[in-house]
Amino acid sequence: MPIANFTIYLFTMFGIYALFAMSLNLQVGYAGLVNFGQVAFFALGAYTSALLVVKAGLPIAVGIIAGMLASGFFGCLLAWPTKSLKSDYWAITTLAAGEVIRLFALNEKWLTEGPFGVMNIPQPLEGLIDKYYNIFYFIFVLIVVAVVYMLLSMLTDSPFGRNLKAIRDAEDLSKSLGKNTQKIKVQVMAIGGLVAGLAGAIFAHYMVYISPENFRPLETFLIWGMIIVGGRANNRGAILGAVVIQTFYVSTRFVGNYVPIGSDLMSAARMIVIGLLMVSFLIFRPEGLLRERKKTYPDEV
Amino acid sequence: MEISQIIVNSLIRGAELSLLAIGLTMVYDILGFANFAHTEFAAFGAFLGFTFNSLLGINLLLSVVLAALLTGLIGILLDLSIFEKLRARNAKTLTMMIITMGMGIAIRNISRLIWTSSTKNFPMPLLQPLKILGARITRVQLGILFIAAISMVAFHLLLHHTKFGKALRAISDNKELARASAIDSAKMVQWMWFVAYSYAVIGGTMLAIEHLLYPRLGFDIIIPVFCAAILGGIGNPYGAVLGALTLGFAENVIISLDFGPLFSLGGLFDVGSLQLSTGYKPAISFMILILVLLIKPTGILGEN
Amino acid sequence: MLKIENIEKSFGQLKAVNGVSLEIEKDDIFGLIGPNGSGKSTLFNIISGFYRKDKGEIYFDGERIDDLLPNQIVERGLCRTFQVSRAPERMTVLENMLLAAKNQVGENPLNALLKRPMVERSRKKNLKKAKELLSELDLFHLKDEYSGNLSGGQKKLLALGRIFMLEPKMVLLDEPTAGVNPTLTNNILKGMQNLREKTENSFFIVEHDMGVISDVCRKVFVLNSGEILAEGSPEEIQQNDKVLDAYLGRN
Ligand SMILES: Nc1ncnc2c1ncn2[C@@H]1O[C@H](COP(=O)(O)OP(=O)(O)OP(=O)(O)O)[C@@H](O)[C@H]1O
Ligand SMILES: [Mg+2]
Repeated sequence: MPIANFTIYLFTMFGIYALFAMSLNLQVGYAGLVNFGQVAFFALGAYTSALLVVKAGLPIAVGIIAGMLASGFFGCLLAWPTKSLKSDYWAITTLAAGEVIRLFALNEKWLTEGPFGVMNIPQPLEGLIDKYYNIFYFIFVLIVVAVVYMLLSMLTDSPFGRNLKAIRDAEDLSKSLGKNTQKIKVQVMAIGGLVAGLAGAIFAHYMVYISPENFRPLETFLIWGMIIVGGRANNRGAILGAVVIQTFYVSTRFVGNYVPIGSDLMSAARMIVIGLLMVSFLIFRPEGLLRERKKTYPDEV
Repeated sequence: MEISQIIVNSLIRGAELSLLAIGLTMVYDILGFANFAHTEFAAFGAFLGFTFNSLLGINLLLSVVLAALLTGLIGILLDLSIFEKLRARNAKTLTMMIITMGMGIAIRNISRLIWTSSTKNFPMPLLQPLKILGARITRVQLGILFIAAISMVAFHLLLHHTKFGKALRAISDNKELARASAIDSAKMVQWMWFVAYSYAVIGGTMLAIEHLLYPRLGFDIIIPVFCAAILGGIGNPYGAVLGALTLGFAENVIISLDFGPLFSLGGLFDVGSLQLSTGYKPAISFMILILVLLIKPTGILGEN
Repeated sequence: MLKIENIEKSFGQLKAVNGVSLEIEKDDIFGLIGPNGSGKSTLFNIISGFYRKDKGEIYFDGERIDDLLPNQIVERGLCRTFQVSRAPERMTVLENMLLAAKNQVGENPLNALLKRPMVERSRKKNLKKAKELLSELDLFHLKDEYSGNLSGGQKKLLALGRIFMLEPKMVLLDEPTAGVNPTLTNNILKGMQNLREKTENSFFIVEHDMGVISDVCRKVFVLNSGEILAEGSPEEIQQNDKVLDAYLGRN
């Protein structure tokens, strides 16, 4: 059954990364806020949920929700000093914030176990279902993705979503039409944080073990690759990107087992491809595989 | 730690960061985007220098010069093949910035592919450090300070006494006008990349000589280098130097400070000595960055 | 209605606005003219909260507004257009109009998810209004075009359309007809007059075309090197020697 197991693992990862990529897409694709530290939100969700469940013995549902809230709160916090600044400053501040969260996880051993990581993270309903647990978890992830996709689509189709696009394309104009752009930026960072935190929490309970190694900047670059390849300001694009990049990433790791160049070089080669893919897409097909859809209002009035 | 030692360490760190921050700030000024691949090229150049020096046995100084020239040339080539086209297409600066991020990932991993992830040391003679006013300083460090000083004087002369420098300042002062005379400014922009990356390689090699050389070096210094540039008022090369020195001091002072007395509230609580764990050293520049953004986002030398 | 007292603003050494005072009453159209670089746009940017003044005070409807943010000023009923039209690249003309609508229920993300019926109702109402306005402005056939693809004149017309959606008490228009062909200029002026009749609001416009100024403005202020050089009816201004020297003499 290894192939079947591997496939289920791959599809579960599609789901987790689809959530993660959608959270970035909301910030970058819709609102134009360049976030190079999205992994921090993922890590916060993962650690908060894992620690609350493992160390405080809280129910998993509470852990996941707390993980989302922690990460959403972090989004507000990060947006606060930078909300009136240009995108370059967002980029560097978020990048740095991502590193600080990782340093915290690495250094505060009393809380996070440092480099050893958090082990034996409980899984939802693990006693009840055992034989087909990974199928169950995959279905769970699938449902979460569907719900989040629906909610995000509702948001991006709403006047709120329109405000985001206006900030992205013409911030001055939005201000001149009375939009409180700073507040909207804080909101979008919070929502992006909630979703990324959810992805992180689900990741933690799936992997059963997390350590700072899971939350390297590499993860942020991967999801950037996903939204650049898949297409920004389009949630389907984010999901497609997650599938494409994740397939490439996981399958090359698989191949790496059979090619005698060592895992380090293999992973370097893999990241070169992803970097070049990002550059070439931005030059030759900047809109990505699935372009942003034009919003029209069929004659209903 | 002795105060004199803090000063020496800060000066060295500041000198290294300066050489990196100058190029970053210049590209931002002229082209309007933050180059997230900047420090990656510095690390790449340091690897080139290492190869010339330790594998081909070329003299260290010559190796660094060669590496700087080569990396500068790569900068020109990348401008010709990528950025110039995007400028002609009026691509958003945001797109350019994200492209540099992708480029940075590629370069970092190309270094990893060629030189592997294992850390490298520049072969340096082990000599007794000198003592100046109680501060220990190695001959290598003295050399670093000396070369950094020369590089900065050279940069100043370049900016004020060459055709390139004058044109560059003219572009910086009036970007509309510069666009009108596109051909001239295109050439200047290529020279600018050359200078930016050459200087970055010198700074990057110094960091590698003093500490270690490894593919992630570029990524590890990206935050301090940006912090230095922003601290000095992004777009201003002199500000970048000032910002780098300020950051160098801030890092070394904060690391050596004992926060114990602060938290004991005048002896009320016994907290012993409280020093920032060295694990958080990389976070200092982030904290300073946030502070600057909160208080004066235009930096020390910037206008409001 | 709008009262400006001793406003000053410098960029480095340059005094762009130097002690400007003026007053704009309700329900009328006022003009602001002056040579290039005389500080007209800068003054508009200060009034609308986009630039911080160095000195002086601004009152709107008796309330001090010079330390408010742009969106807060719009909330009080004072809005502006830009000299260089802003047109979101990937938003259609119709979306532009909807963007400008005031107090949309779905602008709050929680409402957008939870109060669907209310959001829907407010959407229908705004959609209807937007489509009517687009027809009036003769932009309806472009409703599904990306605003970034419009011509300069169409963008200016759209800017006016967005203002209509906002229903402000007072509008600052920065060169609403510059570089616009005569037909579109006519559309823009007609639209402006229509809006005024409907809502009794006032306009303050920067305009280079003296013909337009004479046609629509009751009173004109002349700005030169950041200072008010003269004010009066269009006829008076056209006779004023100082103004002729500084401004009209050049044409
Ligand atoms: N953000 C700015 N930074 C520096 N200088 C500025 C800025 N905005 C305007 N200025 C300068 O202030 C002066 C007044 O400019 P302003 O745009 O207000 O003139 P204007 O009367 O609107 O001219 P025009 O008729 O060309 O639109 C000009 O010299 C201009 O260069
Ligand atoms: Mg103007």
